[in-house]
Amino acid sequence: MKLKFALLGLALIHVLVLGAGFLAPYDPAEQNRDFPFAPPMALHLVDTQGHFHLRPFAYAQIYHPESSAAVPYEIDRSRMIPVHFFVKLAAEGGMGQSGEWRLFGVAPPHRLFLLGTDDFGRDQFSRLLYGGRVSLFAGLLATALSLALGLVLGGLAGFYASLPDHLIMGASELFMALPWIYLLFAVRAFLPLHLGAQESFFLLVGLIGLTGWARPSRLVRGVVLSARHRDYVLAARGFGASDFYLLRRHILPEALGVLLTQAALLIPQYILAEVTLSFLGLGVSEPAPSWGNMLADMQKLYVLESYWWMFAAGVALIPVFLLYHLLADALQQSP
Amino acid sequence: MLSRPPALGAQSEDLLVTTGEAGRVGGRLVASWHSEPKTANPAIALDVVSKELITLLDADLIHINLATQRTEPALAKSWAVSDGGRRYVLELRQGLRFSDGQPFDADDVVFSFNLYLDPKVDSPQRDLLMVGGKPIKVLKLGPYRVEFDFAQPYAAAERIFDGVAILPRHLLEQDYENGKINQAWAISSAPGSIAGLGPFRLKQYVPGQQVVLERNPNYWKVDAARHRLPYLDEIVFLIVPTEDAEVIRFEAGDLDLLEKVGADNYALLEREGGAHGYRLFNLGPGMEYDFLFFNLNDLSAKHLPEIVRKQEWFRRREFRQAVSLAIDREAIVRLVYRGNATPIWTQVTPGNKMWVDEAIPHPARSLEKALELLRLGGFTRRADGTLTDSQGAPVEFSILTNPSNAQRSKMATLIQRDLSQLGMRVNLVSMEFQALMARAFDSYDYEATLLGLVSGDADPNPEINVWTSTGGTHVWALAEVHPLPPWQTELDSLMQSQTALLDFAARKAAYDRVQQIVAEEDPVICLVSPNVLAATKAGLEGLEPSVMRNYLLWNADRLYWR
Amino acid sequence: MMRFVLSRLTHSLMVLFGVSLLTFAFLKLAPGDYFEQMRMNPQISPGEVAALRAAYGLDRSLPVTYLLWVKSVLRGNLGFSFAFNSPVWPLLKVRAANTLLLTLTALLGSWLLAVPWGVWAAARHGGWLDRVSSLVTASLLAIPDVLIALALLALALRTGWFPAGGMHSLAAESLGAAARWRDLVWHLALPVLALIAGLLPVQIWHVRSALLEVLDAPFIRAARGHGIPPGRLLFRHVLPVAANPLISLFGVSIGTLLSGSLLIEVVMSWPGIGPLLLQAILERDVYVVVAAVLCSTAFLVTGNLLADVLLHVVDPRIRAM
Repeated sequence: MKLKFALLGLALIHVLVLGAGFLAPYDPAEQNRDFPFAPPMALHLVDTQGHFHLRPFAYAQIYHPESSAAVPYEIDRSRMIPVHFFVKLAAEGGMGQSGEWRLFGVAPPHRLFLLGTDDFGRDQFSRLLYGGRVSLFAGLLATALSLALGLVLGGLAGFYASLPDHLIMGASELFMALPWIYLLFAVRAFLPLHLGAQESFFLLVGLIGLTGWARPSRLVRGVVLSARHRDYVLAARGFGASDFYLLRRHILPEALGVLLTQAALLIPQYILAEVTLSFLGLGVSEPAPSWGNMLADMQKLYVLESYWWMFAAGVALIPVFLLYHLLADALQQSP
Repeated sequence: MLSRPPALGAQSEDLLVTTGEAGRVGGRLVASWHSEPKTANPAIALDVVSKELITLLDADLIHINLATQRTEPALAKSWAVSDGGRRYVLELRQGLRFSDGQPFDADDVVFSFNLYLDPKVDSPQRDLLMVGGKPIKVLKLGPYRVEFDFAQPYAAAERIFDGVAILPRHLLEQDYENGKINQAWAISSAPGSIAGLGPFRLKQYVPGQQVVLERNPNYWKVDAARHRLPYLDEIVFLIVPTEDAEVIRFEAGDLDLLEKVGADNYALLEREGGAHGYRLFNLGPGMEYDFLFFNLNDLSAKHLPEIVRKQEWFRRREFRQAVSLAIDREAIVRLVYRGNATPIWTQVTPGNKMWVDEAIPHPARSLEKALELLRLGGFTRRADGTLTDSQGAPVEFSILTNPSNAQRSKMATLIQRDLSQLGMRVNLVSMEFQALMARAFDSYDYEATLLGLVSGDADPNPEINVWTSTGGTHVWALAEVHPLPPWQTELDSLMQSQTALLDFAARKAAYDRVQQIVAEEDPVICLVSPNVLAATKAGLEGLEPSVMRNYLLWNADRLYWR
Repeated sequence: MMRFVLSRLTHSLMVLFGVSLLTFAFLKLAPGDYFEQMRMNPQISPGEVAALRAAYGLDRSLPVTYLLWVKSVLRGNLGFSFAFNSPVWPLLKVRAANTLLLTLTALLGSWLLAVPWGVWAAARHGGWLDRVSSLVTASLLAIPDVLIALALLALALRTGWFPAGGMHSLAAESLGAAARWRDLVWHLALPVLALIAGLLPVQIWHVRSALLEVLDAPFIRAARGHGIPPGRLLFRHVLPVAANPLISLFGVSIGTLLSGSLLIEVVMSWPGIGPLLLQAILERDVYVVVAAVLCSTAFLVTGNLLADVLLHVVDPRIRAM
């Protein structure tokens, strides 16, 4: 039940971000320079006269650039902007993909900003959907990589003790002690000047995943260390069970709980790690959005004080983390 | 309540009497630095924080008044020029004392200059004191008279003395002779071992937290009422690593002033300022400017075929001009600096009132003109809008920025969009600053870069290394191709000749021509010059804010609390 | 036991050695060096920069630099800061103490909160209180550390309850000993809170998960069936077994605290290693970075050592090895 709910929820979120090309009303890089930091626009069904409309609509926003207010926008209740469904995108100039079908949109020159805009007047809602692609999948893949490494190395260390244990645990301490994120700028030097979107993505996954195995491996080792002296493990060995069989059948299942909790924790950490990596030129580069980059914008005092909608990516992360948490919970109990 | 000013010393002191309103003595000013000063030793100081500390602890012979941007007497009360501008004889003030009470005379001056000029010391000041490739000669003519000889007439000779801190020979001679001058006066040294002629002296240094300066009781300036300056008892600098934290601590009342604040936080303060009674200063365009440049280095010694191919475009004047025409400078001013910046088309900013050439044209953004230029340069547009060169290859290049500078990163995002309207595909590459510098200055592995420069002085002389082909800061082509383009040859000769022109009008004409060439040829595409913005608590008086560093504290000796 | 500790100690030394070598290599491979920044200053010639590089030995190769450094460490000198023109150790010493004060307080505080919270959430597993706890922790996870720190500062500014950064008030020097302590604690509150907010979700999820695992185990079910009171069950039977992964985590968390506190120190102007290390990394002040990383490694190694010893004491099955 729980398991189904968690899986379904996660699948839904991933489908949403994968469908960004259809669900997002705008190109994530499209700038509306006359609408910087526009607040979210609410959708209405009932107008000021109390008339009900079947087609949802929004009110136009008027920008007052000379105003000193934090959010210099005014809602113009006399101008209704009706929302249309299944529209063709009309991108202006640049590399836009005009002619693509979108779920909803408004007739230009009006704009619909469901989650407001950023400093370039880019639609936050569209950026959130497109940005989820990079962040969610990079977080997931990197976590899988870290856990796989952690499981194998931690399992080996715990099971064989002595020399492998010393070497692996030494290496893990090394990996944990090094301030990786800050040392990785050395890596950038060996890469070509410009990295394409795919290259950046796999680089991100690789770097985060490869540097993060140490903690899970230590936790796995701790569990394995105690598991291998349990009576039934000793007994199984007495019956001539092979090392591999013992590991697979008895010991690794024990480590599962720890690993799943780790997974639920690593994904959030990895999604946020991208913020720092972008700083070193190893992340997703502008103008492509990612949830990490969007959160990084929030880490400025003037944004924090004035533009609350810039936290959209943070809010979007909460259900993701909860669902992973629930999934870990459910998987831990099911076997 | 007015406290009693400290008693004046013996009458034989040759004090400088300042004009202007007399202030109130006493009080403490709390300011901040982003990082700690590394040293109080002027011979090795590199970072801006250490340099700012040194301007408060030490004094120079001739000083540039940052409000007027002109020179005025300091430790030298007068000077005579002879030998066609090659010889300067300076008369020093008599009877002055260092902050430790020891007397000051010509020996200290000769000692200081010799120290800075000593190649063994490796002082970053040394290059500044070389004129015509030869070190300045310093001779003691009397206990209070010093002669300086230049290898050639030097237009900015008086300005050379600004910022050259005069050191106490009695404290540093030993270290100098033992070859240990670079270790002297570390910031952690005992405050008593450091002495200078500046308005303040070091009182306390708490690592990572604060630096406390106290009044120098022997300072050589008095106000019109013969009260000895400075007015303030103490200046405390708290170490606050980020600007956001600085703004918060300013609003919380921990800090009395913000020497320089970004446009976004300035807007925040502007909104909330009314209730708290801050004074905000919008000083207009400063000496800083942001620019974009293409890699025009001679890459024959490097293995970078891709960039060499693109240099075909970069070397075309039409290409650079088209890029300049297509960039929406107004959008940069509005979206990056919230209106607190000025668009520029050449390197001298409107903040440099003496030298800016007002006649430089300010062409409005025009995609049509840009496309016309590109057509002239042999570029064509495909049906889908992509710009291609004469070989049919699409025009695609990357712009390098450092994310630690939020403004320039934002600019790059705007420029990317601007140029896409010409059909150029621009990729943004961000890299931390050191990596960027290594690419721009050593490996030349970049296509275009956004950088900012701050002119240290209003005078064109320090810019010589930026605009001459052999200069060390000639960023777009540190390794020039030969033969030089004719405009570069002209830049070289203009920059060289202006150093020796003693007539201001003639020099101005030469430097105006330099600005015209930069505007026409766009070796670097100048974008905007941000305004200098600052804030203080209400009640701080005597301020003469400057667009040059140290914006508010350059006349710290005259600041007082009402 | 003694032999175990000794072998762990030699192991730790090896780790320190490896860390220093890797840090050195990474810094040397990174583009740019300390004097690179001078290149943008039109008033300094490239020749001057080259002379400075030579004077400070930056033109030497990696192995030579490293060997010279090892030699000087053996003589008790951790190296030299280019920026400060002074030995590294005095720079580090004061700041390391401040960082330790901050991080140990936060560590203690977070575990004191996390264990009861996690136990409580596990005990109410599946109930709505457990869900609320998950929501709170998931929300904390979604906020980057720097943002938490900045938001706390903004809050301090609005309310005036806490100082807006720093470690002491300017007036602290004139205060008596008791008042100075109070001043310190008052300044410590916000950075500790920010650190705890970052650590807490991780710890709570681990505690909760470890407990659930044990609560589900057959022997506990059996014990419950035998009517052992829940409190006694928890303390005598559940916690000791659940402690194992938590102790490992505790060891690890000591070492990662430094990297966690680095940015918080910078945002909250706490005079610890953070601001020094960050600037040193950006400026390539190599020896400062190496020494600071070694310092952090020393914490980590000590933490892991402590955890291993604790595991020995707590878990008899490991002792039997």
